[in-house]
Amino acid sequence: MTGATARPLPAIVPGLRPRPRWRELQLLVLAAIALFVGSVSLGATVRARAAVAADAPLPEGALAPHDLTALLVYLGALFAAHLIQVLAGRRTDQVLLPAVGLLGGLSLLLMQRLPQSLAGQLGGLAQTQLIWLVLALGVITVLAVGVRSDSWLRLYKYTWAAVGVGLLVLTFIFGRDVNGARLTLDLGPISGQPSELLKVILVVFLAGYLSEFRPLLVEQSTRLGPLRLPPLPYLAPMVAMWAIALGIVVIQRDLGAALLFFAVFLTLLYVATARASYVVIGLGLFIAGSAVMYRLFGHVAQRVDIWLDPFADPQGAGYQVVQALYAFGRGGILGTGLGNGLPVVGGRLPIPEIHTDFPLAALGEELGLIGVLAILGLYLVVIERGLRIAASAADDFRALLAAGLSLVVGVQAFIIAAGNLKLIPLTGITLPFISYGGSSLLANALVVGLLLALSDRGVEPPPPRPPRSRLARIVDRGAR
Amino acid sequence: MSDLPIGRPITRRPVGANITAVGVGLALAFGVLAGGAGWWQVVEAGRLTTAPDNPLVIATARTALRGQVVDRAGIVLASNERDANGEVFRVYADQAVSHVVGYASLLFGSAGLERTYAADLVGLRRDPVADLLRKFDPTPADPQDLTLTLSLDLQRAALAGLGADRGAVVMLDPRTGGILALASSPVYDAGGIANPATSRATWAALNADPVQPLLPRATLGRYVPGSVFKIVTAIAGLGSDAFAPDTIFPEQEAGERDGLVVSGFRIREHAGVPVRSYDLAGATEVSSNIYYALAALAVGGDELSDWAGRLGFDAALPFELPTAVSQVTNGGGDFGGGFKDAVELANAGYGQAETFVTPLQMALVAATVANDGVLMRPHLVASFSSAEGGVRPVRPDEVRRVLGADDAAAIVAAMRQAVEGTLGRQFTSGAAIQGIPTAGKSGTAELGGTGEPHSWFIGFAPADDPQIAIAVLVERGGRGGARAAPLAGALMRAYLVDGVGR
Repeated sequence: MTGATARPLPAIVPGLRPRPRWRELQLLVLAAIALFVGSVSLGATVRARAAVAADAPLPEGALAPHDLTALLVYLGALFAAHLIQVLAGRRTDQVLLPAVGLLGGLSLLLMQRLPQSLAGQLGGLAQTQLIWLVLALGVITVLAVGVRSDSWLRLYKYTWAAVGVGLLVLTFIFGRDVNGARLTLDLGPISGQPSELLKVILVVFLAGYLSEFRPLLVEQSTRLGPLRLPPLPYLAPMVAMWAIALGIVVIQRDLGAALLFFAVFLTLLYVATARASYVVIGLGLFIAGSAVMYRLFGHVAQRVDIWLDPFADPQGAGYQVVQALYAFGRGGILGTGLGNGLPVVGGRLPIPEIHTDFPLAALGEELGLIGVLAILGLYLVVIERGLRIAASAADDFRALLAAGLSLVVGVQAFIIAAGNLKLIPLTGITLPFISYGGSSLLANALVVGLLLALSDRGVEPPPPRPPRSRLARIVDRGAR
Repeated sequence: MSDLPIGRPITRRPVGANITAVGVGLALAFGVLAGGAGWWQVVEAGRLTTAPDNPLVIATARTALRGQVVDRAGIVLASNERDANGEVFRVYADQAVSHVVGYASLLFGSAGLERTYAADLVGLRRDPVADLLRKFDPTPADPQDLTLTLSLDLQRAALAGLGADRGAVVMLDPRTGGILALASSPVYDAGGIANPATSRATWAALNADPVQPLLPRATLGRYVPGSVFKIVTAIAGLGSDAFAPDTIFPEQEAGERDGLVVSGFRIREHAGVPVRSYDLAGATEVSSNIYYALAALAVGGDELSDWAGRLGFDAALPFELPTAVSQVTNGGGDFGGGFKDAVELANAGYGQAETFVTPLQMALVAATVANDGVLMRPHLVASFSSAEGGVRPVRPDEVRRVLGADDAAAIVAAMRQAVEGTLGRQFTSGAAIQGIPTAGKSGTAELGGTGEPHSWFIGFAPADDPQIAIAVLVERGGRGGARAAPLAGALMRAYLVDGVGR
């Protein structure tokens, strides 16, 4: 799958052995065609609507891309990422980049279609998003080409954990409240949402921790009545994770991130141990914690109540959710077409925060059910590739790391999509690769770049197993 | 340690199988997402897209021409006009239907049928599957005209009968649920709100008016029902077999003389009731409070609440306009059915205590008795019609069978005696229609204090083959038999004998 059949091309310069990536090229061409058609469709719709509004005839050349320059810049960056990987000659996965590239391209089309004033630091919404998208492709490429060893992740897991907790503390102390949630950290001119970076750090830590203690977690257990608990000394990180997740909700008021972290943690624990009972216990803790928070914290209760019946207050608390459902309904099966949905009444778009929290509703209206299914399918492709990389990884650390990174994308996409579709309470996390915002795009680029690097099986074997811990040696002796 | 497997290498088990399980789990989760998207974008799409507050409906209503609204005789009630700037606005034929048709205004939104059927009137389509075939249709809007079951003539007659009084009249065909008149007094100038030239001034004046002309009293007004509620108690009693039509309560005769003592509270009969024991028909004829207090106690709080619920109490009615919730009690009490104690239950039995009802709800009570115990869904629109879609009639729709036909017949007999019996005529003079058997029940709702009571009547005719059911409420109108009953009789006579609204 990863170019095993491709022969290296002759070296152009010494030390550089290009390797063609035909599959990736084919898929990228398909993605480019789809995005070009989408851009033409958006352009034609926008021009036709303007002509109707002005009562003027349709201008010449109405059937052209909405913003050719932006499209070419994006496609150029996409193909450049491909070319650099060809030149680097690594045998990395060839499906991830086209899938992510198509999602990013949809994001660009959506941001071009929304009012540019929604976010305008760098010349409008679409322009800013384009810059972030190109940067994200750059991050993916640099990681895919440049990361040849995982020891900097593997050996410093506690350092990474400390960095993560530090980020959390910094956000709490210096963070800025946006819409009632303290998620944004300003560092001089740069501002960002640390929880996006935190999710990657979390996966690195968990992969390191679980791969080291996996034998112990698998083979031992503490009996507590009918329950089988993980060995108590190793339960501590689990409880700590649970506490951190609750802390994120309480302190940062970020339900989505808490849900994401906890779900990824539990799933990785399952991958490492194959113990369904751990998952059941974790879910029990989650439900208990949720019930307590529902009673204690107004913002949690409000989210849940809106979820249960948004139509109870369609003009007030439930407005955003109700409007999103209306958007899905208007889309129907085939959608209204790009640029043709989201009716503006009184100069306002129907859904507040549409570019960060509800991109799926916007795309669901304009691309219809088939568009939503295609987007969900693209996420499944990304997940499948990631899990495949995990399953064929050379050792536990790489397997858990790849699985965790895939989960981060898949679970996050699920949480926000399910929130948009009123399957679970709405949380304010982003839709990976599509939502507007630099933090989200760069963090997810980090994920994809690492996955690509991990997918290369030909470069460097994993390091020899580190010396077993003292307790593990005791256990080994006991086993014999 | 105890379950440590001996001899098995403990670090070699691959994680691949677990990863497969996780992948399958995520794929299933995304399958649920796809199902959710299908639910909202196909199954629920029609309902969502035609909701009155959907921005698409609002945006379309600003530009599209609305269909007409006509009454059952074809008289145009709502149509379109253009102002000096060429802007389209709505004009209404008669203020009598202002509470039914409502208004559609660019500045102040919409109300009434103009709101409920906004999507149909502007011609938004509601079927996502049909959309597949019409994706590239350049003229998607197909405005629908609404033909109502309502008669403008009957509506006018009802309002003329109410005169300067505040109140409401509801008339419907008990066999179909089709509303013939839904009058609330006072009316308001819906056209003044819709016309951009007068919109703001009209709106300000109406909202400042202390008599609340914008309140549709027939559907959103809640009133103490008084004795018309006795029909609900009778339905609950016969339906739950708590008593039979010929049951006589032994405590009654003493109660008629000195009052009935319930938990230390003395319920007194109103004046003019001969002292003796009554069965259902006799008690209904003389409107005995003592009998119905005993009846409610025999039924019990749970059953009374339950049977009222079957008639439509305790929830918004299944109707095309917003309705207030009718209630038998404030709830929260632990005596059964939410009643506080026996005193509240006994008083509720004859429509006092914490009973509050809408005129539409009481009309449905009469209609259910008239229709052999079957409650039909009340409706205002008889058919939709459009250039493309042709005529789509609305079929009558049964809500539920509330009561057995035998029990309904016993209550019909009692209500007929209340209008036509020797004693009954003292209370409901004027409801009887000459030559046509008439059934009904008057109500005089005491409000405490010194003011006049609310005057109520519910009934139907002909009693042996009901074609019209009615509820009349006159706020502070005095005794039910004096004000509401004659008005109801006159309106039913107009419909059945003079053919008004036929």
